[in-house]
Amino acid sequence: MQGGAKEKRFFRSDLGLVATFCLAALVMSWISYALPRFLPGDFVTATYGASQVTLTAQEEAALRADQEPQGGFGHYLWRLARFDWGYSYVFNTPVSVLFLGALPWTLLLMGSAHIISMVIGFVAGVEAAWRRNSAIEKGMVGGMTVLEGIPEICTGVILLFVFALQLQWFPTAGAETAYGEPGFLGHMADVVRHLALPLGTLVLAYFPGNFLLTRNSMVMVIMADYINTARAKGLPPLRIRYVHAARNALLPVVNRFGIRLAFMITGALVVERINSYPGVGTLLYNAIAARDLPVIQMVVLMSSLIILAVFFALEWAYRIIDPRIRHAR
Amino acid sequence: MSLMIQDFSVVYRDGDHSIQAVEEATLAVKEGECLALVGESGSGKTSLGKACLGLLPQNAETTGRILLNDRYMDFSNDMALNAIRWQKIAMVFQNGAETLNPSYRIIDQVAEPVMKLAGRSRKEALHRASRALLEMGLPENCYRHYPHQLSGGQVQRSLLAMATILDPDILILDEPTSALDALNKGFVSDIIEDYKQRGKGVLLITHDLAFAVAHGDEMAVLYLGQVMETLPAREMFSNPLHPYTLALGRSYPTMGTARELGGIRGDAFYRLVHQHGRGDAAQYHHSHIQIPESAHMDGHAPPVGCLFQGRCTQTIEACRTGIVTLETVAHHRVRCLRRGIVSILSLQGISKRYDEKTALHPTDLVLKAGDLLSLVGETGSGKTTLAMIAAGVLAQDRGSRILEDRDMDEWLKKDVRSMARKVGVVYQNPAASISHRFTVLDAVAEPLAIHGLGLGKDERKEMVKSVLVDVHLSTDDTFLGRYPHELNMGALQRVCIARALILTPSLLIADEPTSALDPSVQAKVLKLLLDLQTERGLTMLFVSHDIALARKISDRMGIMLSGYLVELGRASRIISNPVHPYTKMLLEGAGGNRQQGWKVPPDGEPSKGCPFFPRCPKGKNICQEEFPSIHKSEHGWVACHFVDV
Repeated sequence: MQGGAKEKRFFRSDLGLVATFCLAALVMSWISYALPRFLPGDFVTATYGASQVTLTAQEEAALRADQEPQGGFGHYLWRLARFDWGYSYVFNTPVSVLFLGALPWTLLLMGSAHIISMVIGFVAGVEAAWRRNSAIEKGMVGGMTVLEGIPEICTGVILLFVFALQLQWFPTAGAETAYGEPGFLGHMADVVRHLALPLGTLVLAYFPGNFLLTRNSMVMVIMADYINTARAKGLPPLRIRYVHAARNALLPVVNRFGIRLAFMITGALVVERINSYPGVGTLLYNAIAARDLPVIQMVVLMSSLIILAVFFALEWAYRIIDPRIRHAR
Repeated sequence: MSLMIQDFSVVYRDGDHSIQAVEEATLAVKEGECLALVGESGSGKTSLGKACLGLLPQNAETTGRILLNDRYMDFSNDMALNAIRWQKIAMVFQNGAETLNPSYRIIDQVAEPVMKLAGRSRKEALHRASRALLEMGLPENCYRHYPHQLSGGQVQRSLLAMATILDPDILILDEPTSALDALNKGFVSDIIEDYKQRGKGVLLITHDLAFAVAHGDEMAVLYLGQVMETLPAREMFSNPLHPYTLALGRSYPTMGTARELGGIRGDAFYRLVHQHGRGDAAQYHHSHIQIPESAHMDGHAPPVGCLFQGRCTQTIEACRTGIVTLETVAHHRVRCLRRGIVSILSLQGISKRYDEKTALHPTDLVLKAGDLLSLVGETGSGKTTLAMIAAGVLAQDRGSRILEDRDMDEWLKKDVRSMARKVGVVYQNPAASISHRFTVLDAVAEPLAIHGLGLGKDERKEMVKSVLVDVHLSTDDTFLGRYPHELNMGALQRVCIARALILTPSLLIADEPTSALDPSVQAKVLKLLLDLQTERGLTMLFVSHDIALARKISDRMGIMLSGYLVELGRASRIISNPVHPYTKMLLEGAGGNRQQGWKVPPDGEPSKGCPFFPRCPKGKNICQEEFPSIHKSEHGWVACHFVDV
């Protein structure tokens, strides 16, 4: 059968894909390795420049020597692989500990925000497109367009003001209460309570875009000939809407989802700051403020590697969703 | 198992305007029959097909009814419709791959109705789907492909497998053959024939006229949403009554057609139905043909007159104002005020003698509007005599001539000029037919002067210029001032044609118009004649000794021999299937072959019997004794004793 030959061809093209991504990852790593050498300003100046402590030349040299990058690029990669990412100047803690401590919170926040906004946006978009030109649909499109235009910094502050400061339904900062309630369920409830505001902000920020994109994509799909075929087949409306139409409207939404995921870490920065959420965004913000070079270096490198990984995963997702991409050469 | 469409109209609303897609169509797909819907794009064929499944878009408004198996279909009830869709009526849509969902495998899409409508298990559905695909001749390794991986033909097969999987009572096929080559059309044919045989109905929507003729029982010709003609499908090419049907047939290439493709002049636009705005006295709904560029604000025609009038070649005043309904003419239904294609010229029993020699034996000939008939035969066979009698230049000894429903001889006596205006003549030798003292302007304008139309000099010049444009000649003053000897033969012949056309005759008689021209010039002139036929709807009588030439332009052909019209019929039939041995001989001669049995025509003619006898390879005694009786066939005839041989 010709299937075998095809499989092999797939394999080869996949290998190419993997190789491409690996190369990109290497280039990223090299940039992050080389970057500190070009950056203006350093930790010593940032910390002691404005302080009353005056360093002797000897002390300063020792401090600087301590921060001088050591070893070549190969050594650097080896350290990366061993999670030996250096020490934070400010926290005096291994960078890996800082990063891995912050990452789960960001993943939780961004992951749930993306998934919720995508599901809500998609379903609402599909239903709106199906009711095209109705009053509801027109109202929704108008409302969502306005909402899409409001930056998350704005909604974030408003939500914080109304629900945390005025109504006091949710805490204003943090991801969990220190020394909080014992027990798994109590802990979970606590986490959700802390999550609610930043999550709400992000959902409000992302959901209108997903809605509009789905609706527009769906409006085009509904006009396609194969939807007419599905109607002619006498299929139930729900099946036509979701199995036949929505499936084909999914692609741009997944695309957007992927691009958004890539901004997972940097995108969270604003919201994490507003709600003082202890994620990677907050970590990066603090590190930049203190010129904490090893932290900046690693956050930037890891974000870019995550972006790469997401794109790689997306490439696969597309192939599953749209068979035409699978066979495009 | 039948589908009746009764007084069905479809109007698409679009803001203030509406577009009339179908108007009061009454058609029937009878049990065991195939109804073929033909017409140009935008004639409403697909709208009608989709309407039968309740698939019209939301902005469509319908009136009229559709009956499935004698029960009214309720288009407002989606549940009831879903019970009919695909199980009772299934459709194969046009546009091939675009009508299949790009995200699902072919076999899943074919199996879907079995699972979701017939409620069978996935396993059984897939089994049935693969059997259906196999029957359609789709290779097995394609079943799990996605639509974009299939060729056009494979997509069409899949669509047919999908449409027939629940074995519906009525199958609607929308352009099923447009993506298929001639060999692959076979499986569509098989399905249609199978459905007909099992007493089911097929509605075939197609541009493919040959296919429609081959499989249709009844045919409906749609134009701008109106049914223009319904006729037995097999008469599409041979006996169309409506000018539109004729023009449509003439635009379509069949293997039988030898002549160049014609066309239909002008373009089909769409029909708007609208109401005039505030402050307009005529505030009523009406429809008219909308030419896209033209604003409709100006005083346009009210909703009367024939829709085809602008493109028809036999329009009369009544066509612009009258109300045109579908009427029964013979066994057709025709929407035409003139009850179908009119006859321009009718000759009956015309004969002519020059002294001792009979130039023309009694001959009948009818020319319908827009017809192009070639008279072909050897020299001295009476072609020119017949043509000149038809032109009114020569008087016949016996018989009658009727031009546009008036007796020509009486007309000639009463008013030669008005009769002569109806017929234009182009002669064999252009150089000899224009006075060498005339400039181009003088020559072309001369008929205007003769007929004393009382026009000013400038008006005449304008008319000359416009007719010169029609024959693709220059209109600048230098050209208008040229003398015949300054022009080449091709240009000169076109000047002659322009001269013949300036009085807008309804019949053009061209006597060997290209024999003095070299082949490339000849080609241009012939193309010009065909264009004129399409654009002006000219009826033409073309005289030529060259059958190869005649076949490129003729709708019909008459073969002349010693004053007899021995064979008459559609040019395509005569070329592909000549009956008279003389015709065969002419065809072979045109092919450059030396004929067997060719003998020099005898000087004296036999007083009785077949004039071809001395040269005929089939000649028997009977041929010598009596002139063969005329065998009528397919709108023509053959005069030979051995028609069946």
